Amino acid sequence: MTLLVVDIADMQISNNPGDTLITYSLGSCLGVTIYDPVLRLGGMIHCMLPSSKVDKEKAKLRPSMFVDTGLQLMLSRLYESGLRKSRAVVNVAGGAQVLDSQGVFKIGERNFTVLRKVLWKNGLLMQTQEIGGNKSRTISLAIANGRFSIKSGGKLVHYDVP
Amino acid sequence: MTYLKQIEDHIDRFPEMPPLSQQLLGYLHDPQVDFTIIKELVQYDPGLTANILKLANSVHFGAAGKVSSLQTALARLGTEKILELVLSLTVSSRLKVSLPGYGLQAKDLLRHSIWTAVAAQELANLLNMKQVEMIFTVGLLHDLGLLLLDPFIQTERLRFNQAVDAPEASFEQIEQDILGLDHARAGGMILAKWQLTPEIVAGVQGHHQPEQSTQYQDLIFLIHLADMLSLSEGIGTGEYGLQHNVSPHTVKAVGLKKKHLEYVASKTLDKMQELEKILS
Ligand SMILES: [Fe+2]
Ligand SMILES: [Fe+2]
Repeated sequence: MTLLVVDIADMQISNNPGDTLITYSLGSCLGVTIYDPVLRLGGMIHCMLPSSKVDKEKAKLRPSMFVDTGLQLMLSRLYESGLRKSRAVVNVAGGAQVLDSQGVFKIGERNFTVLRKVLWKNGLLMQTQEIGGNKSRTISLAIANGRFSIKSGGKLVHYDVP
Repeated sequence: MTYLKQIEDHIDRFPEMPPLSQQLLGYLHDPQVDFTIIKELVQYDPGLTANILKLANSVHFGAAGKVSSLQTALARLGTEKILELVLSLTVSSRLKVSLPGYGLQAKDLLRHSIWTAVAAQELANLLNMKQVEMIFTVGLLHDLGLLLLDPFIQTERLRFNQAVDAPEASFEQIEQDILGLDHARAGGMILAKWQLTPEIVAGVQGHHQPEQSTQYQDLIFLIHLADMLSLSEGIGTGEYGLQHNVSPHTVKAVGLKKKHLEYVASKTLDKMQELEKILS
């Protein structure tokens, strides 16, 4: 098994059954995986910020930094590789936050709002969503069977393709 | 019973500050200091000289045009900046260790520290807070106290894990309750022992309780907010990193808005990655 690490503000796609995509330490960032069980094709992205509007230059260089541009890019790449919407299994985790009574650090919440918009526009539903709280999360996706795992606070939970 | 006494003993055995930084520190805040003195101190270490030039030319520190000699770097950036660079280079090696108590892998703390240092400067620029001195150094050093407390957290793992499960429990308070002091104060104690300048000590010591500071407030506010942003973005968060309180007073005092944070976060990542290569 090969671990393919998805860095912050980055994305990876694989159809090699030997690969597992993994991304570490999601705080308010969102980790999103999309998987096609028939093709055994999967993608993972680690987005930091909700909207590319905050820095359009940066969005050109690093589309995966933002939920809006990043998710759209990952979807196009997956469609190019044959993903069918009807089979797509979408999993989402992250969106945690520090203890902030003023609400300025609610980056996670805004990330999730934008994510839902993009999914809705694309007619996609979420299979798993583990959002919020104040613990960081590490997620992985096994390309062989689409198993999605979330590790947080010493606990590991698996979600298999339905 | 807490560990305060034991922790204080550990501070006495904590490694000294690198000698070169110590010497350079003596010249800081000395308006009379001649560039040639600093040049002489630094130039016999070719690796250091090369790295100073790399830092001086990085996107974060770089002024217009490349500098290719120590002389120009010194003239361009001034004594204080050069001292910051040297301190950064010598201290950064200490930040590469893994800290199992906090759940941090090797380099996580270094990355978190660089991110905080860069973001604090970006935030200062954005909010028009000019001339905040030593901001990079304080950003880099702000969590030095983790090195001191990590073994005690390992010993008290069970109590820590129980305490963090309480909703809204802040980690600095849990450290205070279980160990008798938090890592910010621990860091301040190390730096005071190293005889670093008062603003550096205050900046590190106050980074989780910025509202209690009376001096160097701009510096402490910026470091606090940059630190919270760094943790938010998952940079060196470890097991407990998101369980820290953002100071409402500080948010109001600097007029912080969501858009500021998002803009700073987008700018910081690339600069952090460039500096990480130089500093590791
Ligand atoms: Fe801290
Ligand atoms: Fe920190």
